[in-house]
Formats: sequence, C-alpha cells, structure tokens
Amino acid sequence: MADDAGPGGEAKYPLNPDCYRLLCKIGSGVSAVVYKAACLPLGSVPVAIKAIDLERSRANLEDVWREAKAMALLSHANVLRAHCSFTVGSHLWVVMPFMAAGSLHSILAHGFPDGLPEPCIAVVLKETLRALCYLHEQGRIHRDIKAGNVLVDSDGSVKLADFGVSASIYETPPPASSFSGPLTHAPQVVLSSSSYFSEMAGTPYWMAPEVIHSHVGYGIKADIWSFGITALELAHGRPPLSHLPPSKSMLMRITSRVRMEDAEISKNKKLSKAFKDMVSSCLCQEPAKRPSAEKLLRHPFFKGCRSKDYLVRNVLSVVPSIEERCKDVTGLCGCAAGGARCVSPCHGQASASIVKNRRMSGWNFGADCPRKEDADSFEELDQTETVARLFLPLDDEDTVPERACDGAGEDGDKGTMEQQGDREENEGSFGVKGVVVPHLMTILGSLEVQKRMLAQELEGGCCYHHDGNCCRETTAREEMLLAYVRQLEQRVEVLTLEVEEEIARNAHLEELLRERA
Amino acid sequence: MKGLFKSKPRTPADVVRQTRELLIYVDLHAGSRGADPKREEEKMAELSKNIRDLKCILYGNGEQEPVTEACVQLTQEFFRENTLRLLIMCVPKVNLEARKDSTQIVANLQRQQVNSRILASEYLEANKDLLDTLISGYEDTEVALHYGAMLRECIRHQSIARYVLESDHMKKFFDYIQIPNFDIASDASATFKELLTRHKATVAEFLSKNYDWFFAEFNSRLLSSSNYITKRQAIKLLGDMLLDRSNSAVMMRYVGSKDNLMILMNLLRDSSKNIQIESFHVFKLFAANKNKPAEVVNILVTNRSKLLRFFAGFKTDKEDEQFEADKEQVIKEISAL
Repeated sequence: MADDAGPGGEAKYPLNPDCYRLLCKIGSGVSAVVYKAACLPLGSVPVAIKAIDLERSRANLEDVWREAKAMALLSHANVLRAHCSFTVGSHLWVVMPFMAAGSLHSILAHGFPDGLPEPCIAVVLKETLRALCYLHEQGRIHRDIKAGNVLVDSDGSVKLADFGVSASIYETPPPASSFSGPLTHAPQVVLSSSSYFSEMAGTPYWMAPEVIHSHVGYGIKADIWSFGITALELAHGRPPLSHLPPSKSMLMRITSRVRMEDAEISKNKKLSKAFKDMVSSCLCQEPAKRPSAEKLLRHPFFKGCRSKDYLVRNVLSVVPSIEERCKDVTGLCGCAAGGARCVSPCHGQASASIVKNRRMSGWNFGADCPRKEDADSFEELDQTETVARLFLPLDDEDTVPERACDGAGEDGDKGTMEQQGDREENEGSFGVKGVVVPHLMTILGSLEVQKRMLAQELEGGCCYHHDGNCCRETTAREEMLLAYVRQLEQRVEVLTLEVEEEIARNAHLEELLRERA
Repeated sequence: MKGLFKSKPRTPADVVRQTRELLIYVDLHAGSRGADPKREEEKMAELSKNIRDLKCILYGNGEQEPVTEACVQLTQEFFRENTLRLLIMCVPKVNLEARKDSTQIVANLQRQQVNSRILASEYLEANKDLLDTLISGYEDTEVALHYGAMLRECIRHQSIARYVLESDHMKKFFDYIQIPNFDIASDASATFKELLTRHKATVAEFLSKNYDWFFAEFNSRLLSSSNYITKRQAIKLLGDMLLDRSNSAVMMRYVGSKDNLMILMNLLRDSSKNIQIESFHVFKLFAANKNKPAEVVNILVTNRSKLLRFFAGFKTDKEDEQFEADKEQVIKEISAL
C-alpha cells in the first residue's frame, strides 16, 4: 500500500528492514542508536538509520508520532528530513540521508579542537540560519541548536538535524526533551499541550536565559541565543562556560551576562569585529532585542560568504571519515573491532531481542483451548529471570561496547552526551550521574513548572480587580501565592545547589575510580 | 504587510472568491494535456498565495491576532459555495506548503461560528462523501497525513463522527493501523482512537450495536497482532474504552468472556513491559467483576498460583500508588476465588 515516504519524484525507500544492511554504528544515545547502512534495493546508497527503542524511550507513542509527523512535513534543503520510518520489533527505524562528514561537533573534535577558521564558520552558520528561517516561518522552534546538531555531507552541504522525531525521544542528559513545538499556526498541536514551551528543554550550555528561568515561556528567539552560542562553539571548539558544570553555567547566565569577553576562551584567537557583533546581537538578554534569523542572514558577517567547496577543501579534507573517527576514539566500539563484527548487522539489537523474547511460560487455559504455550508447565517459569527483566530493564541491552561508543559518533545527541564531558568518560560514574542527577533535575524542573503555574494564576488573579468586588480577598490570595512562589524559589535554589554538589561528588568519585584503575 | 502598494485591500470574502476561482482552474487543468505549463505555474503560485492569505486571516500573522469579523466573513463566503470540497480535492495537486496551509484552514473552519451556528458541520452533513475521500487518503502516501489531520478535525462534530462510525470505513481502519509506514499508521491510529473515545454516547451506542464484529476484529487483528506498535496502541485504547463510565455495559460484556480473558492473560506475559502494564489495566476488570461467569473463574483458579507469583514481581518502573492499590485488589480477588 503505502510504500514511500516523500512527495513524488523522490526515491522510494523500502519499509522493510531486510532491505538495509547495517554497516557500522556511528552514534548512540540513551534509547537510540544510529547506524550507517546501505539501502540494498537502491543500489546500496548509504543512509543513516536511527533505531529508537520504543520500549525504553520515555516518550509516549503519541509524542513519538507527533514528532515523526512534524518531521515528515518539513521540506527544506538545510533541514534533515527522514526518508521514511517503520517499526522493527519494538524499535522504530528512522531512515535518513547519510551525512558523510558528521556533525560540526564531531568535526571540531577530530580536526579543529581550537575552532574553525572564520570563513568556514560563516559558511556553516549561513546554511544553519536558512534552516532556522524556514522552521521559524513554519512556527516551529528547534530548541536544541548546537554544533552537534548541524550535520555536514561530503559535498559540504549543511543540514540542521534533531528536531522532530529525535527531539522528544532523545533523552538529553537533563530531563529535557527538546521539542520543536508550535508557535502561531498550528492549532492541532497547540491543543495537545500548552506546556511545551514552558518545559525546560535543550542542552544547558546552549540554553537561552529565558529558557532556564522564564515565567512566560519562550519563543523562536531562544533559538537565536543558542545560535549565538553555537557560533562561539565553532570559533573556540567548545561553548562558553563549558568549563563549569552545567547547572553553574545555567546560574551564570541568569545572574550575569554572557559577554563576548567571557566567551573568549582562547585568548590568542583573533575574531573579526563582524563576527563579534553578530554573536553579541544573538546573546542579548532581552529576547525581543535579538535579531530574527532572517535579519541575521543580512548581517555583514555573512557578506561575501564562501561556497560549499570552500568547506570541502578547508575542513572536510582535514578531518578523518566518520568510520575512522569511530575507530580513533574507542578501541571497544563494536564497529572498530574489525570488519567482521563491524558489518554484522545490528548485533546489539539481535542480542537484545533474544533477551526480550524470554518470557514467562504460558497460562493453562484447559483442554478445550489448546495453545502452543500450554505445553510449558508452570514450573518452567523462571522467576528470577522475570524479576530481573522487570527490575533491571536497563541491563538488558546496554552493552559495554555500545556505551563506549558514545564519544565516537556523529549522532546529534552524542554531542549532548559528550558535552557532559570529561566527567562522564568513566564507566563507573554512569550509575550515580545516570540516576541521581537527572532525578534532581526532574524535581527542579517540576518545581519550576509549579512556580510558573502559580505565577500564571497570579496574573489571572489580577483580573479580578476589574470586577471591583473581591479586591481584598484577591490581594490576600495574591500575597499567599507570592509567598508560596518565594518558598518554591528557595527550594529551587536549594535543589540547584544539591545538583551541583552531586555533580561535584561524582567528579570526585570518578577521580578515585581513575586512580584505582 | 504585502498589501503596502495595493490600492484596494481585498476583503476576506474577496480572498475566498479568488481562491475558489483558482481552485476550480487547478482542479480542471492541473496535469491535463495541452495545458500551458507557464500559465499553470502562475496559477499555482497565485493559489498558494491565496491559501496562505486565508490562513493568515484565520490565524493572524504572528504579529496580529485574528479578527473575529474577518473570520466570520471568510467562513460565510467559504461555505456559501463548494470551496471546502474544492480545497480538499486539490490537496494532491498543490505543493507541500499549500497542503499544510489547507489542512490548517480546514481545521480552523471547524471551530468558526457564525451566529452561533457551525457552518462547517452543516456543510459536512450535507456532503458526507467528503469524509469518504478523506478516509481513503490513508491509502495514498501523498495525502495521507494531510487528509488524516483534516479528518480528525471533522470528526469533532458528533454527527460526523457518527457517520464515520456507522460506515463501512470502520473496518478499513484495522488495515490502515497496520500500514508499514510509521507516520501514516500512527495517524490512522490517532483517528481511530479519536473516533472511539471522543463522543461518549455515540461511542457507547456504536460499541453495543457492533459489539460482535468489532471486538472480534479488535482481538484477532490488533491485540493478537505480531506488530509491537499495533499491540501497544490497541491495548491502551481498549483500556481507555472499557474504563470509560459511559461504556460500562460494553465493559461488563467484555470481561464476562473467557476468550477475552485468555487474550488479556497472554498480553500480560508479553515481552514488552509497556504492554504488560497496559494489559493489567484491562485484566484487573476481569478480576474485579463481581459476577464472574464460571468459565472465567475456572481459568483464574487454574492459573491462580502462577498469577499470584507473577503479580508478586510485577512492578512499574516509577512508583505508582494507584497501580499498587489495583494490584493488591486483584491479588485479593484472585486469592479469594
């Protein structure tokens, strides 16, 4: 029946896993793995396949669908669009164009640790802005602009990735789900949840101040802030304040201003006035004062911008291929262990499905309703196994080599994992940070939401004044609510401190582990 | 904004009329032999622009809120003639942006009131074949997501939802839900769910009247499907339907059946934790039923110790008080049999 993904004229990518040969893992996140694969019926054209574990993804199926649909309905040269998606067991496979040069984050890490040359920055940022223009015109907010989400192909073409399907499914380290939501013209999405915009979303270092502490939600200008941070990231090899733990960097952005001077990490690097001016305009605390993507495109920094070829000659020729990068970073990576293992399709998933298929033996429905499972007797039920599956869902599949691959891929969310950075390299730290910190962050997030709800209620309360009849009562109520808000704010502060302490403790523990090793 | 150099601003009714003329042209000429490609292109561009203008009147343009009076004018002119039909028929012929705009226009019009009447609902009631068109969109990848979104907006009207429920289309949804393309299958599932949960009284009536074939299909094609998503969505929907107070008669009928119990018990031991949890929310109804038929009691008694052992280790990932309380209740019921 429905066999293709896009509007007419495009190649039809098959909706059958057997038509793809997985070649190599090129990225992984908490609930998704990205493979380079060959689409056999289309002359083995290379594709990237993101395999999302729907059983482990925290998002509910409706969110997954809503995002997949949003992605399917976007069409722009600078926006990465899925060829098609279909389910394979409990995984959703999203088949996408293979961007051979990987993400800008990966390019920085593997060839430009101190940043890209300015003319190259201009090329990639200009293309990114074109994508932003399109998204914003569609009333969508990307919410996670960063070098890790800007992908480059071997011909130098640039595409913005990781909104849509990836967004709500990708669990970025804080409880954030980056969600490209509706703005003005999307009634059906607006209906589904008004909280999309007030959820804390994105990756800390790139997050705009109003995303962190806003009481009124935020709009497309949050993307412009992140765009500015991305510009600095490209110039210096890492985002500003990244030497601080994420929570600290978030506080810094609320309490003080991120200025160009703070941002100049490598002092000896000469940046043009045009570049600094462009970035400063993006990093304006007041969202309304930040330029629109459209206006930014006309900024002098982008005048006389070079072509894609320039990027190919000066950047792509310098960095190793994705496969090479994969080998470089980890000897443990499944795809680096030599041809045989590398090419074997999806070994991670194969083992996972074996684990998953072990289940309790059948029920006894009596003689009149024979079933295959009835042959199993009750005694065969392996209680420990069931219990293990129930209680330790994470241990089923996340094999060590997979995790070791985290730092090696080009996948969008890999950047977010990596930016947690040095502290997370150590395997031992995974447990503590994986559990405690996100948990605290969740509490923090929910307190933020409560605070905002109260703030909204306060605003609602003010309306009563016009009625004139319940003035005093309203004021009293307002005061009470205000006190509560203050109380909540204090709790948020306490929790923020706790998160930091936890992070520090993690760092310390890792230190110890490293010493022992 | 763009009208800066125009002498006379067009009224919303003007925009509708122009759009309609262009739609008629495109409907007749697009893709036909002998058409002048350049002229066609111009008409298409003009049509896209007009459709965008309609959207801006209905939704505002980002800076300005929509004006009620303008929306009323637009709606009146729109339904004075067959504009909705033309707009739907031309979806396959216009470009992606115009398709998206059209979808949003159709969505918005379903809520527009003129003198406290909803013209869209009246129009659809008189033109029910349009719903046939929208539903069959699931068979065409090109338009499936656009028609699907329009359809879900149309079935907000109770009379329209009733039409779809009572039509033969309901049977087709069991196929649409299992289309391999994830986007489309999920869209069909969303519509299916909307049909079966939105208008309580209508749904209850539909389920009682169509109980036999509907649940036979539901059990055999969805709950027993080998497709993970199909199963997971179906069991969730079943729970939503049966736990709805307005469907209590249907629920009692469902939980009185041994065959249904067997299907649910098998889902309870599915390899997917999510499916297990959702199945439990239906299974508990069988156990809580005060008038369990003997055949149901038999199965529960035969598997009692196994069930109890299973529930002993059955936990949600996150703490869930309601779940624990339900589980205690179920354990008590089964132990007491």
